[in-house]
Amino acid sequence: MQSVKGKLWPFQGHPEEEIERNNFSVARGDDVIGRLAVIRLEEGDTLPDIARHFGLGINAISAANPGVDVWVPKAGERIMLPLSFTMPDAPRKGIVINLATMRLFRFKGDARSPVVSTYPVGVGAEDRPTPTGQTRVVRKATRPVWHVPASIAERHRKKGDILPAYVPPGPENPLGEYALYLGKSGYLIHGTNKPASIGLNATNGCMRLYPENIKMLYKDTPVDTPVIIINQPYLIGQRDGLLYMEAHKPMEGPATGELERIHAKLRSIEKQSARTLDWKKVREVQAEARGIPVPIFEMRQGSAKEASAPIDVEHPDALYGKPELPELKLDAWYVVAADLPDKIDAQRIAAIINHQGPQIPARVLSRDKGYRVIAGPFNDVGEAKDAAKRLKIDLDIDGILVEPVEKG
Amino acid sequence: MKKIIVVISMMLVLPVTLIGCATTSELEKVQAEQKLIDAKAEQALQDAQAAKASADAAKLSAENAEKAAAERERIADEKAQRADAAFQKSMKK
Repeated sequence: MQSVKGKLWPFQGHPEEEIERNNFSVARGDDVIGRLAVIRLEEGDTLPDIARHFGLGINAISAANPGVDVWVPKAGERIMLPLSFTMPDAPRKGIVINLATMRLFRFKGDARSPVVSTYPVGVGAEDRPTPTGQTRVVRKATRPVWHVPASIAERHRKKGDILPAYVPPGPENPLGEYALYLGKSGYLIHGTNKPASIGLNATNGCMRLYPENIKMLYKDTPVDTPVIIINQPYLIGQRDGLLYMEAHKPMEGPATGELERIHAKLRSIEKQSARTLDWKKVREVQAEARGIPVPIFEMRQGSAKEASAPIDVEHPDALYGKPELPELKLDAWYVVAADLPDKIDAQRIAAIINHQGPQIPARVLSRDKGYRVIAGPFNDVGEAKDAAKRLKIDLDIDGILVEPVEKG
Repeated sequence: MKKIIVVISMMLVLPVTLIGCATTSELEKVQAEQKLIDAKAEQALQDAQAAKASADAAKLSAENAEKAAAERERIADEKAQRADAAFQKSMKK
């Protein structure tokens, strides 16, 4: 049996370096890019860590793998990496952001050899949705200062957290290291200090990217680049003579208008081809809403290539951006975050704490009866108190401070 | 004459006294036996109740095994959803 770097099963997958995540050339007439992949999970993996490593948002990986525990998935389980994307129905120039799929497309190259870069994004929360429409990049900044909007300051004040008027660049700055300021005043495309929020409706209307992705987008995007923000949960597109449909869960209830638009397009294709579309399949794709392009129709009978099967990917030795846990120290402070009877519950809480931005290191300690989630180590009581405060404000956890076992 | 009367009296009182002593001892013995029996009965009763409770529980368990499993799954899902909701809230600025 061949084993690779301590893995217990025979290596069969493609090296993960071969998997294209962000940059794709677009063949003439094609609307679908990339290729689906499958990976076998290992102990300690979380879906957000896998998602980030492969340039996906938490929404995409969760939708593609219904029923898989986001925080404590089973080791050995094979999950889908939805690395195939249908480009939205919008002009292919500048930046196009589809809020429903939480994906940004940056179109480059010329008409003869178009190239597209695509990144997952975090978008506005339900009560602060990102506005759709056309705008452009009016200004760029590295290490931007965050001027705290009054609405956010007020929300934090209600929780007993007084924010400063502005936050300088650094780990506490939610804009991250790069920002593209849009013509729509107050709206930015920026980085983040909460990478696990990519693929969530979590912003005040801005669009946030993984730190590694905003760096690439910033470099690729000059001032005056046009930006189109759309909301298309249902997408159809062609590739190699096959018609694909990709459905996402609509952000705000049933997207009747969008569905009607797609159905009208499908009826038109059906009419042109003089063949009947498999409407049952269409409804299935729509109901499942897994965010994966599914072949639903052969454009010219007998001429289409078969849809590519998902490829197996080798699990990387280390996942990019995965929160690292510092070793326990006897002379450090800790915060007890929870005592729980169930191991999985404890692991889930620890993982969620670990994925806060900035990170709060947390782990599970086994006890005679149950499991203890402990945050730390912290160098001093001040750090421990800050962590306890964040646990309370952000996660409603009443942490208990633990003094060092040994005085340093 | 007095002597005769005294002797006759003693002859009458002594057996009565002896008879009285025998009755108290027997009473105590009976009472002790009753306690033992009562304890035994109590134990039997408790055993019977425990057996019935156990049978009821087993019956209930068999009847509700599926429900209980579904309930556990529901609770686990709820816990995961609650944790996820808290996480999503924490990801806001």
